[in-house]
Amino acid sequence: MKNYDVVVVGAGPGGSIAAMEAANRGLKTIFFERGRRPGEKNSSGCGLGPRMWTDFRFMKELTPEVCPSMRAGAASRSYFVNKQGVVAGYVMARPTESVSYEPAKSFITMNVYRSDFDPWLAAFATKAGAELKTSTLVTGLLRENDRVVGIIDEHGEKYRGLVIGADGVVSMVARQSGLRMRWDQDHVTLVPQYDFAVDPQRIDDIMGDETLAVWWSALFPAAYQVFFHDGFHLGLGNWMTWWDKNPLYYLDQVVKLDYFQRLVRVLDARPREYHAHLLPWLGSPGNTHTDNVILVGDAGGFPCPLEAEGIYPAMITGRAAAEVAADAISSSDTSKEFLDLYDRKWQQTSIGEEFKTGPELARIWRALPFSPKETMSWFVPMIMEILGGILDWSQPHAVRVRQVMRHVKLYLPQAVPFIMRNVLPLLEKILGERMDMLTSPEKLIASMPELQEAIASAFEEKEERA
Amino acid sequence: MRADIDSLVTRIAGSSDFIKLDSTKCNMCGRCLVVCTMGLWKKKGKKAYIADDYKSRCVECGACYQVCEADAIDFHYPSGGKGVVYERG
Repeated sequence: MKNYDVVVVGAGPGGSIAAMEAANRGLKTIFFERGRRPGEKNSSGCGLGPRMWTDFRFMKELTPEVCPSMRAGAASRSYFVNKQGVVAGYVMARPTESVSYEPAKSFITMNVYRSDFDPWLAAFATKAGAELKTSTLVTGLLRENDRVVGIIDEHGEKYRGLVIGADGVVSMVARQSGLRMRWDQDHVTLVPQYDFAVDPQRIDDIMGDETLAVWWSALFPAAYQVFFHDGFHLGLGNWMTWWDKNPLYYLDQVVKLDYFQRLVRVLDARPREYHAHLLPWLGSPGNTHTDNVILVGDAGGFPCPLEAEGIYPAMITGRAAAEVAADAISSSDTSKEFLDLYDRKWQQTSIGEEFKTGPELARIWRALPFSPKETMSWFVPMIMEILGGILDWSQPHAVRVRQVMRHVKLYLPQAVPFIMRNVLPLLEKILGERMDMLTSPEKLIASMPELQEAIASAFEEKEERA
Repeated sequence: MRADIDSLVTRIAGSSDFIKLDSTKCNMCGRCLVVCTMGLWKKKGKKAYIADDYKSRCVECGACYQVCEADAIDFHYPSGGKGVVYERG
């Protein structure tokens, strides 16, 4: 039996931050990685959000020298693919004027391969004094008098301490501590993805500072394409209940698109690696703690309820878990009741803010990109009528406008209930009492003197001209 | 792409068994056959089974374990340092 204050299962972003913060607080800490080094068992679709640079000061030390795969990009692209498999249009967008800080003005995500990023992050924990044990699978929880007191590894070695479960979506710690068996089938997604190799110069020449693309379609659940220094990921996901055939069938529908094939030729992209992982996607996290056990990151169900960004929530909850662990250990009380503090702690972070509208955000994602047949089948042609219908020389423009309006009207029996069911509840949650300004133009105008003035002066000018 | 999927995965061989099916619990719902992207689950007559060479083809996603509501599939990760390696995950 080896004695520690804190035993962290998993050396991904959540585990490494928990280990680092625990060690920084003087706690005797060990963290375990089943791979030969952190990151070699992990795959992510996307990248690191700019919030990480404000919440974790060491992020500014992330450079291509230590993380060769990194590629930041300001712009994202949304492709709209119609039922015939044709890219009917696309929109490119970069951070808007309302984005308030750097580096968020400069990039939307910093994309990194986990085999680069995770070891870099784990090194901060070992530098802080935490002990890292690699190539070691933690197989069970150690119990005394029916209470979890530590863990057992695959060699039968026992480690005593407060257990932080950072062991991902299929969490042994969650299972054996009784916090959760399986996820509900519609609380977890399956995400297959390809990695393609591309020459870095070609990515820069062809994609510029575009860093990710989303392919919206009725033929497959929304697919993401994310660019790294010398390659890109192409992946998609959906709930366990959704799949009616091998998920690769749907991923290959994206690969087969003429537009995608053209992109592959232009980029001279070659398939390099295949990954598949589960990803929890919840409106609110599951049970997060019990006696002497805290779950962080994917193990606790913390990915963002809208887009399932997972690394940042793992790091934030890893930090919160270590803070609570330090308090619990110094108070000699690691009971579930004391560890309730963990929930209060993460709820006060930006992750907590995100989950305030969690159920509504998760519902809108479920109803839109994850419902290709039900929603994207009308959403894509409707959006394209609006975006592309007017710049058209097939008829006099006024005739075209009438045609477009008539056509959009066809989609309203689907669009209006969709908005009522999914969009309005979200807006109500976000806006609260101010919601009625959206539904009542009089109230909106009354609340904005500058708008009243602008309208008055517009009418004055009109009268003067008349 | 699907045909050459195995060539896109790197593995370190040598783990002991890490997926086990309890045939007495299996209700043949067939979900494991659908969600395994590597196509490792098969059925023969009224029985599901996992390919003999699953240890050298599984990508350790855990989908079969997660999707099995009958609790017939026991899954844990392969021994430390063995199994799938993602160099660009």
